[in-house]
Amino acid sequence: MNGTSPESGLFRLDLASKTYGATPALAPLSLTIERGEAVAVVGPSGAGKTTLLHLLGGVIQPTDGEISLGGHLLADLSPGRELSRLVGVIHQQFDLVPQLSALHNVLAGHLGKWGLARSLVSLISPVDRDTARQALERVGLKDKLHERTFRLSGGEQQRVAIARLLVQDPDVIIADEPVASLDPARSRDLMGLLSGIVEESGKTLIASVHSAELVRAFFSRAVGLRSGGLVFDVPVEELTDDMLESVYELQGLEGEPVGQL
Amino acid sequence: MSPSVNYRFIEGRWLLTLVLLAAVAWSLFFVPWNSDVVHSGGAAAALEILRALFSPELSPSFLLVAVEASWKTISFAAAGITLAVAIGFPLGVVASGTLVSSPMKRWTSIAVVRLTLAVLRSVHELVWAWLLVLALGLSPIAAVLALGIPYGGILGRVFSEILNDVPEGPLRSLRSAGASELKVLAYGRLPMALPQMLSYAIYRFECGLRSAAILSFVGIAGLGYQVQLSLDDLLYSEVWTLLLFLVGLVVLVDVWSGLVRKSLTT
Amino acid sequence: MAPRIGVGKASLVGFAMLATASWAYILFGGDSGLADLFRTQTWREVWDFVRRLFGAGSPGTPALFDAQSWRTAAGLSVETLAMSVLAMVIAGVGALLTFIPASRNVAFGDLSSSRSPVSAAVFFVIRALYVFTRGVPELVWAMLIVFVLSPGIVPGAVALGIHNFGILGKLSSEVVEGLDHRPMRALRASGAGNFQMLAYGILPQALPQLLTYLLYRWEVVIRTSIVVGFVAAGGLGREFRLRMSWLHYDDVLLLLVCYLILVLAVDLASAGLRRLAR
Repeated sequence: MNGTSPESGLFRLDLASKTYGATPALAPLSLTIERGEAVAVVGPSGAGKTTLLHLLGGVIQPTDGEISLGGHLLADLSPGRELSRLVGVIHQQFDLVPQLSALHNVLAGHLGKWGLARSLVSLISPVDRDTARQALERVGLKDKLHERTFRLSGGEQQRVAIARLLVQDPDVIIADEPVASLDPARSRDLMGLLSGIVEESGKTLIASVHSAELVRAFFSRAVGLRSGGLVFDVPVEELTDDMLESVYELQGLEGEPVGQL
Repeated sequence: MSPSVNYRFIEGRWLLTLVLLAAVAWSLFFVPWNSDVVHSGGAAAALEILRALFSPELSPSFLLVAVEASWKTISFAAAGITLAVAIGFPLGVVASGTLVSSPMKRWTSIAVVRLTLAVLRSVHELVWAWLLVLALGLSPIAAVLALGIPYGGILGRVFSEILNDVPEGPLRSLRSAGASELKVLAYGRLPMALPQMLSYAIYRFECGLRSAAILSFVGIAGLGYQVQLSLDDLLYSEVWTLLLFLVGLVVLVDVWSGLVRKSLTT
Repeated sequence: MAPRIGVGKASLVGFAMLATASWAYILFGGDSGLADLFRTQTWREVWDFVRRLFGAGSPGTPALFDAQSWRTAAGLSVETLAMSVLAMVIAGVGALLTFIPASRNVAFGDLSSSRSPVSAAVFFVIRALYVFTRGVPELVWAMLIVFVLSPGIVPGAVALGIHNFGILGKLSSEVVEGLDHRPMRALRASGAGNFQMLAYGILPQALPQLLTYLLYRWEVVIRTSIVVGFVAAGGLGREFRLRMSWLHYDDVLLLLVCYLILVLAVDLASAGLRRLAR
């Protein structure tokens, strides 16, 4: 690490909001997230969960307000090297390149650090095979190193995506509905894996999940969103079923769809 | 969907039908609707041609001629398509605008490349052949260039479209992992685009076979040249033999391309 | 664990061998002409040719700048356009009449309630017809047809029409084969007979796609019209051949320019009409 590396793990949103054209996706929101927290973001579709997560991940910029990480404005960090060292993002699906092998998809976690030449060479003759092997072993897929990604099941592909995050090694992991396309048993397994990795390396996790059971089992804090606005923000011990219901309650057709990436 | 969208959709359809019917009627005015359309003796010729279809020339000496002409044709097509890929792939990547993060940066070079591709592919390969033969004489190189240049233009345009139509999810994920646009191209776009590009290139190879066959019109050897010779002597049976060889080649390549396409998607 | 080598990969290797053999034959099997690319004499001749395109060495104003020449060329362009439209009519009508029995799911009973040897036979005959008509290049069709029809735009249109009939037929029948079965199964369940299935199930989905393919092919056909006109003696192609044989290269340039304009116009028209079809 050179120079003044940003002190990571301390997220701070100051009245950050996002509007797409005339549609408000996220009302001005202020939030602070400490290093090592496991934050669950809950709410119905169109509530603004993905918008919030993408703002935190630096994928999009707020229309108003500021987001800072470790004291540095997120917008100031260069998207390639600096940002990828701090924040990693995983989605529900379609994160991986189907035609590449699991090995190459996992090694793509290095792309923020490798130069162009090494990146290209690695496609032909993989550089740092060992790290990839270890990462895949950690997620329970050590036999699938050379398997083409499109041959893997949905759950296995999500594990490969997590393995890529291991290689990338960011301080914060942001997961947008990572288990939404998996069945309950595999959801639990995957969340367990993700949670374990986050705990043992002291990372920070911010994820959107639909299941109350998963929220209570794997997270320390719950943030509820609805129609772009914050409804509650409590430690998970204080989360009640009533709170969840208030967020998910159907009340006619409200202003959606909200701009989701 | 709001009613106004549906209405516009139907309106568009009616307008289209009207335009098409008008175009058809207009074109029919250009047909000289009298007996001059058919040659005097045209009917007899048609009958003879049809009869010859059922008795193609199968003597060993002529079959040899057909095989040799087929080899010439297929080799021109194969060499031509490889040249086309060599031209079309790099130009296509540049034209797609996926090399740089903001297209504005290299706007002029992208526009120039696209224009070049458009000119290359607008001119029929036979016209290219005529120009090249004038410049280089009746050489195999002229044939290969006559195929490679226009096909390069076509491949370049299609490749750039394929590169742009690639799913966005994996690309976004690569960018989050820290990849620059060039790395996104290498790790994301190209691997995802390659099966389609290959598939299209093989389809073009099949077209190239037919194009190679007709390059005879400028005097280049091959199946088309032999067809012309046989037609000059009114030997319709020979013509059908040659055409059967040509269709046979096309079918072979067609089947092969189906096989490759299937293996790419499993 | 090494990746398995499938048929696909093996055949690509096979093609690589074919390509290598082809290049070897072309470059080393006798006079390849490659050397000519590097001789200055060649480029001098090319330059001379370019000058003649622009009128050097022929009397009067070069055709490119002569109003009368433009008028003639414009008339020929219109004729060529008509030839292309006529060709699409022939190809389109032919494909329309034959594409449904030529689809696997119709012929072999997945969609229709019966499965007869007649429909199978018809399927094979039509498919064979498609393969044959599209396998033979338009130019060759034209060379044959001029023995039957008098020179003009009609033999050209017929030749283009026959060749594209095979192409459109194959594409359209593949569209039918790729249709989602579920809406049609639902139609069948509500008691639809064969013709109703056709009207409600197949045509609404297949026709717009057929039209799109037809419009795409039109762009190809207009480019080929100049070449077919060569043989069939119609439109720009006929004039092109005449001028070429008389070495009136400045006229040739004008014709080429008109050709490019025509191609551009058709590309734009096709794109516009395709948007209407959406």
